[in-house]
Amino acid sequence: MEQELPIIQIRNCLLVSIQTELHDRLALDLQASLMERVRNVNARGVILDVSAVEVIDSYITRILNDIGKSVRFMGAECFIVGIRPAVAMTLIEMGVELDSVNTALNLDLALERLELLQ
Amino acid sequence: MKTVEKEIGSILSGTISSITQRSIFNRLGGLATTPVQQLTANDRATIMQELESSVRLFARSNSSQLIASCAKALTPGPGSGPMGTASGGGAAATVPMTPKKFSIEQEKDIATARLEAWSEAVRIGLSKFASVKVATAVSELARNIVFYAGKGSVELRSVKDDRGILGLQIIAADQGPGIPQAKLDEIWAGTYKSQRGMGKGLVAVKKLVDDFQLDTRPGVGTTVTCVFKGER
Repeated sequence: MEQELPIIQIRNCLLVSIQTELHDRLALDLQASLMERVRNVNARGVILDVSAVEVIDSYITRILNDIGKSVRFMGAECFIVGIRPAVAMTLIEMGVELDSVNTALNLDLALERLELLQ
Repeated sequence: MKTVEKEIGSILSGTISSITQRSIFNRLGGLATTPVQQLTANDRATIMQELESSVRLFARSNSSQLIASCAKALTPGPGSGPMGTASGGGAAATVPMTPKKFSIEQEKDIATARLEAWSEAVRIGLSKFASVKVATAVSELARNIVFYAGKGSVELRSVKDDRGILGLQIIAADQGPGIPQAKLDEIWAGTYKSQRGMGKGLVAVKKLVDDFQLDTRPGVGTTVTCVFKGER
């Protein structure tokens, strides 16, 4: 089944709410369309909402880091928001780093931080 | 005997509107009117997958708690009738599970195995945090199977430790290419970088679990056996 994650624009930010299983193909498509949109709308930031994601393993972490890196290459900042407490603790125990992205507790705080960057 | 619709409906009422509930049950088709006791493991996985996405979207609060109660309600207990309500006080359930085995061939099987592992962990009394760890470990192991071996299986069984407390054992097996010793050394040293993963899956699993065993033979296959111990 072909699917695509909707990218929503809020002022000069792009928002993606991840509500589904991120598999290889979907992740690559997302990365490509995000970069395209960043360029087209001169986005300052990209926010990925993962509050609906119950499990983040090392593979998903790598995908998030990759997206963060590519967004940064374009000159924008990438924020991951809404990481669940149990997910955060699991990532720490696994020794996995989310070091190519910024994190914020929720969408509001990420937007606030992005405005401060202006 | 209660049907899926009745059992789940009573959990969701008050949190999800009846119209939304209707559409959830419609999507489940015949499964909605199946008595809970007659569900197979696959049926439960299908139902939970549907519930998970809908509850997250529509529930006004506490979606993960709701999903956990749904998983609990759908899992057959020792007798029929309401389960888990009498114990309370956070006492761990001590109902061993019958071993379950899932074949892993495609990316969507990863999600199924993860979901089943998560609901089994909750059912045998592991904490919410431990259950997320279980689901994460199963996700890593199943992903390794899909990426490197093509196909294999994940088996879940409950095991009692020396304190008599139930824990969960995960056995991930494949007949893939195996891991050569040189690569294995790099993996444990943290210097291995694979194309698709981060080469960190196995290291991550080892750090998460209480007991970890790896049996890999080039040309024969790989079996990872690990255990999450119950608390208290």
